[in-house]
Amino acid sequence: MPKAVQYRANSIIYFKGDQSERIFLLNAGKISLSYVDTESGQEMRDLIKTGEFFGVKSALGHYAREETAMVLQDSTVMAFSVGEFEQLATKNTRIITKMLKVFSNQLRRIHKQVETLLVGDEQVNPETGLYKIGEYYMKNKRYGQALHAYKRYLVYYPSGAFAADVTAKIVSAEEFLSRYGSGEPPASAAPAAPPAAAAPSAPAAAAQQAKTDGSDLAQQYYNAVSLVSQEKYMEAFKAFKKIIDGQADGEYATKAEFEMAKCLFYLKQFDSCIKSFTVIVQKFPKHPEMKDALFFVARSYEEKGDKARAGGLFKKILTMGTEDDPVIRKVKKALRALEGGQA
Amino acid sequence: MNPAAGPDLSMFNRFMVTFRKGDIIFCEYEPGDTFYLLQSGRVQIVQLMGELEKNIAILQPGQIFGEMAILEEAPRSATTIALDEVKALEFTRENFEPLMMGNPQIALKLLKLFVNRIYEQKRLFMTLTLEDVEARVADVFLMLTERQSLDTSSMDSVELKNTVEDVSRWAGIPSGQCREVLNHFVAQRRIELHPDKIVVKNINDFARFVASRRKHQEK
Repeated sequence: MPKAVQYRANSIIYFKGDQSERIFLLNAGKISLSYVDTESGQEMRDLIKTGEFFGVKSALGHYAREETAMVLQDSTVMAFSVGEFEQLATKNTRIITKMLKVFSNQLRRIHKQVETLLVGDEQVNPETGLYKIGEYYMKNKRYGQALHAYKRYLVYYPSGAFAADVTAKIVSAEEFLSRYGSGEPPASAAPAAPPAAAAPSAPAAAAQQAKTDGSDLAQQYYNAVSLVSQEKYMEAFKAFKKIIDGQADGEYATKAEFEMAKCLFYLKQFDSCIKSFTVIVQKFPKHPEMKDALFFVARSYEEKGDKARAGGLFKKILTMGTEDDPVIRKVKKALRALEGGQA
Repeated sequence: MNPAAGPDLSMFNRFMVTFRKGDIIFCEYEPGDTFYLLQSGRVQIVQLMGELEKNIAILQPGQIFGEMAILEEAPRSATTIALDEVKALEFTRENFEPLMMGNPQIALKLLKLFVNRIYEQKRLFMTLTLEDVEARVADVFLMLTERQSLDTSSMDSVELKNTVEDVSRWAGIPSGQCREVLNHFVAQRRIELHPDKIVVKNINDFARFVASRRKHQEK
């Protein structure tokens, strides 16, 4: 049972630093709490109102008192053990709701103070903040998370300052996601830099289509793409072959053919890789991923030791796109490595 | 709340939501009016501080998250990411009050959660006010030891199940700089660095070091 306790003026109920598990409720009188403000370092003093609890946080959290409770005028308080307080609060949840409001304000305040220490006193508005989260994950190649943040941005700020940029980045993030899965790109195919806005590509468009028709074939295709991202190239190769053998939907068979040729490269079957891509390129002279196809052919020649052919092809790819295209950046890097190797 | 041990939440099954591993549950700065009771899987809470993603906490089943948005109309103060496949009960501002009324144990749990979060943030604030980076890292050791509720009066060696990344996030310094400080401590034979843990050989020695730096700073 909680007990009523009388305190005389100028007495101390507890000191800062004391360990105690008692919670108090002021029935009558005048009591103040004095403490040092974490932010300013100033000595602060708050008056307790009649009917108000004090000593709650340190008792519930089992840590030392953070303030000194001083009696200013003769007072009566109710002293509760933690158990007694819990019993009372569960019978009257309004006590808890009220405290939650006070505590959540305190928590926000201390959050802000911590943030100020870490990044300085700049106020980030929520729109910029949300955009920056997308940027952070994009930069760190965490495409799934980047995608989520960007999409949330468009939900709340469809005509916001970054809307156009975000829309373009969603396309890139989807492309990278479908190519590499949500994790890191495999080292051999990693882009030289974080991807910038790129034109919609076949995998991105396909990803959207897969969502709308949700067919088994699409599922099979993306499962196989996921195997590529896990660097399980042999399994991926077999999975793509199964799609082609099924001869069902022409679209996925074509895509699968392309991915199979890529697998051949990773499986170090360079001659077969060159042959497969040559067939694809002849069949589809305007293939949306022509640059990528030629890139793998060039890399295959390089691996075979034919640096002249590899270099010639790399240079050809460079004429097909601009700096903001991830493939172009990848090719530039490969070309530098190739020429550096020759020197 | 472990559904087996805690209050019966089966009547709330219609509020069950599932997230895949790696999914963001909500983003910092996003307006939020939902909070979650984690039923299975782990959830990581992070905050972006400039160019650093700071780890705030990793939550286990039975814990509550997103609770700040429920009480005030304010943007989310952190991002939450599913570390495993996550199942959680999702509540909104509308069904929050009746939930609390009908489940005072949850309300009480929420209250204790707030108390602990406030304490943790205050402790973090104390660490960050240290100007000297070595003292900051040392203070992170002390904070992580405090969280294990160990009595260090009779012992010196402490094993912290934390990584360099964790320490750098708590200390608010880039991981490269943090590694330098840790390597320095290793060279002085004051700590051992393992891939999954840090062994602090004399925690009381670090406590004295931090105390003296604080005192020095106050002058």
